Amino acid sequence: MAIVSINDLTFTYPGAENPTLLHLDLEVEEGDFLAIMGANGCGKSTLCKAMNGIIPQFIAGDISGTLMVSGLDASQTPLGELAQHVGYVYQDFENQLVRPTVLDEASFASLNYAQPDYLARGMRALELVGLANKAESYVWALSGGQKHLLALAGALALEPEVIILDEPIAQLDPYHARQTYEVLRELNENHGKTIIVIEHHTDFIADYCKHAVLMNAGAVSWKLPAREALRQLDDLRASDIYPPEIALAARELKDTGVLDSGATLPTTVAEGVQAFAGLGFTPQPCPARPVRADVPAAVEFRGVSVSYRSVKGAPRQVFDGFDLAIHEGEKVALVGSNGAGKTTLMKLMCGLVKPQGGEVLLKGVSTRGRGAEEISDAISLVYQNPEQMFIKDSVRADVSFAMRARGRVDADEHAHELVERFRLTRLADRDGRLMSGGQMRRASLAIGIALDPPILLLDEPTANLDIATRREIVRTIADLRGVTDTVVIATHDMQLVCQFADRVIVLNQGRVIGDGAPEEIFHDEEVVRASGICPPEIYAMGAALDCRASCFDIEDFLMSFDAYRALAHAATGEAADVPVADVSVAETRTADAPSAGVPAANAPSAACEKEVA
Amino acid sequence: MLEKLSENVLDKVSIDYLRNQVLKNAYGNDDTPIARLDPRVLLIWYLFFGLVPWFLGDVVTLLGMFIFCAATTRLARVAPLVLFVFALGVFSQTGYLLIVSILFSGSIDALIPLLVMTLKVTTCSLASITVFSGLDPDRLSNGLLWFGCPERLSFSISFAYRILPIMFEELQNILLSFRMRGRAPAHETLGGKVHWLVYQVKTIIQSFYPLMLNMAKRSRTTVEALELKGYRYASTNAAVLKIKLGSLAIGRNDILFIALSVVWALGCFALPHVLEVLV
Repeated sequence: MAIVSINDLTFTYPGAENPTLLHLDLEVEEGDFLAIMGANGCGKSTLCKAMNGIIPQFIAGDISGTLMVSGLDASQTPLGELAQHVGYVYQDFENQLVRPTVLDEASFASLNYAQPDYLARGMRALELVGLANKAESYVWALSGGQKHLLALAGALALEPEVIILDEPIAQLDPYHARQTYEVLRELNENHGKTIIVIEHHTDFIADYCKHAVLMNAGAVSWKLPAREALRQLDDLRASDIYPPEIALAARELKDTGVLDSGATLPTTVAEGVQAFAGLGFTPQPCPARPVRADVPAAVEFRGVSVSYRSVKGAPRQVFDGFDLAIHEGEKVALVGSNGAGKTTLMKLMCGLVKPQGGEVLLKGVSTRGRGAEEISDAISLVYQNPEQMFIKDSVRADVSFAMRARGRVDADEHAHELVERFRLTRLADRDGRLMSGGQMRRASLAIGIALDPPILLLDEPTANLDIATRREIVRTIADLRGVTDTVVIATHDMQLVCQFADRVIVLNQGRVIGDGAPEEIFHDEEVVRASGICPPEIYAMGAALDCRASCFDIEDFLMSFDAYRALAHAATGEAADVPVADVSVAETRTADAPSAGVPAANAPSAACEKEVA
Repeated sequence: MLEKLSENVLDKVSIDYLRNQVLKNAYGNDDTPIARLDPRVLLIWYLFFGLVPWFLGDVVTLLGMFIFCAATTRLARVAPLVLFVFALGVFSQTGYLLIVSILFSGSIDALIPLLVMTLKVTTCSLASITVFSGLDPDRLSNGLLWFGCPERLSFSISFAYRILPIMFEELQNILLSFRMRGRAPAHETLGGKVHWLVYQVKTIIQSFYPLMLNMAKRSRTTVEALELKGYRYASTNAAVLKIKLGSLAIGRNDILFIALSVVWALGCFALPHVLEVLV
């Protein structure tokens, strides 16, 4: 039975020239776990807000067609009644929390609808999402992941049959992202809830969703079983959705005749293991990485201790006797779950946080006694939240602000160059806040490098971005490799780590638990488990085929197939046009000829067996 | 030593400290005896201790009430910043006059009226601090609700405390943006120091524009979420009000507190007469 049924729905925002939803038809079965995919601005959020009646009851506009949820007409039924059938979790879920304590927040809606057992209902919802032990906590004391679960609990308390989540994991680290999806699966399978997510992460769609819908220009292009949907590579790419890397690699192998042309495209590692079985697979050696030990340290932490005041009880110790050196010219990725101390480490380098013990040295000079203004000539920090970097009323003014403050005569010309370089010319006179997520991020990068700092710090540069925008930012950051000398990125995005970093530092509860090249870190099971980082899909695929493989992108992966490599080398002999599925920043580390002494593929080496044991 | 001290003082005026103190004030003391009292009892208590001292003139009575309010303030574990602001307030109102007259005249006749004034201000302020800072915002707003304050007001109080930490964080980061990208004037000379101060004040003023815009951007979701959670629906529904106020209950501690207050207050009023008889 269809729990949501939409018929010929058209909606136009007031003042807009074109309708956002156009003759849209969709049926969602009861008990489905549905993903809605689509490019930015294709109407995904509008559709979801129509399902809970916010459109057209709260946000007015021209609407036609019908939308029925649980047998109720969504455009006519009072919002309060509808809310007991449809729950909604926003993308910026933190702003959805309106009460100070956890139980209050979870039971707020039930209270407002005068349900006498509101506290019990709130508690039940908290139990469902696993927050029951936090019932008395204050909302500001929760981590990002917990806040998200709380927003979900707030929606669940009214016991709706349908739950809609707008990009549920965009702001979460990989560990919490999985946790959220596990909760959703539990709700779907054991509590009979129908779940609808707006989602771009194809790996999560493959693992958790039952069906997927592709939207295009305000209408539904198709609705297919999830795995099958992810095999529509061309449709997905046309909608700016990045298909599973495993499927892309498999298609490339099919196109070049390495893989049987009749084979189904694999979308997950498990499917990949079957699909690629029997193909010659020889891990390629990693490119040599520059060793920096003899280079002077750009930043050095010596016995640094930092603690924050807490509202209650003892101060929270973030670092205690922390030592670390970052050398000049290094491209460092700082990884670790939320709250591991990444942001504090960056603020320490900029002199925004002063250590209570020990010292931080920038090129051998202590930051103690130097103001942030002075330090900022040598180091620049780009915040996670670009809005907080917009302090003037136009992007151009923001970019030139620091240069003007330092009396640089060529401030205007340099700002103009930067604006052009980051493709913001058309937007340069607008307030940064009014731009899209990707544009804001580009603007914040332009602001960050305006002073040509020898050390650049980026805090979560790809958080909250859809996949297409994320790739664009990754490219932009990769371009910076030549411009700035020492770069430190704090991130959860392992794809970014693979494409950018020479050195990965894993933080866990204020301590370095892993420090080395990306492949060393990903191969260290203990570090991976303790920090909750998960290597990119293609890396996991390679490792599943041969535990020694370190494939950072599709090209690395493809080049590990003996037959593909032979073809590629034959091709390079004649032309430079190597058939590669994804030409990103791979050029920097294209592996050359395989070394002679590598053992045959698929014959587990002694090292593999040991690791398995 | 001096450097360490100045660093310590600078540390205290940071936004981070301010944010911490505001939070501490609102939520850091929810396990004190005062916080556990019924908000209605405390509000009535406040009506007495916050108003009556204004109409009294006897030093001994006032002193007694002052001691009582000081004790409740201590019990409420009020954040240091609030106490500092309170002390500054009292001093700037009348306290400095008191000290000046002690230093220059030394006559008791001039002192008494000033002391009375100071005690009045202090007692009432301490009573306010006890109630408004000792109670967490939610209980306070429930208490106000019971006395017939509009729902919107009481919701605003608790919502303000929800939004404050977010706002402080936002402000802190914007100020840091200014610090990192701006260039404060050198402040070795006296003229430099004045320039520096003007620069800092200007920065704070300039921060308000981005702060407000960022908060406005965030509130779009909040408004929709409130609608979905039935907030508007609830404010006109008497049943909701009844459920909400059903959580308020007067317990043994409340009765003890009332009894103690009454006895103490009576004692304060009786004391001058007792002293008269004795002396």
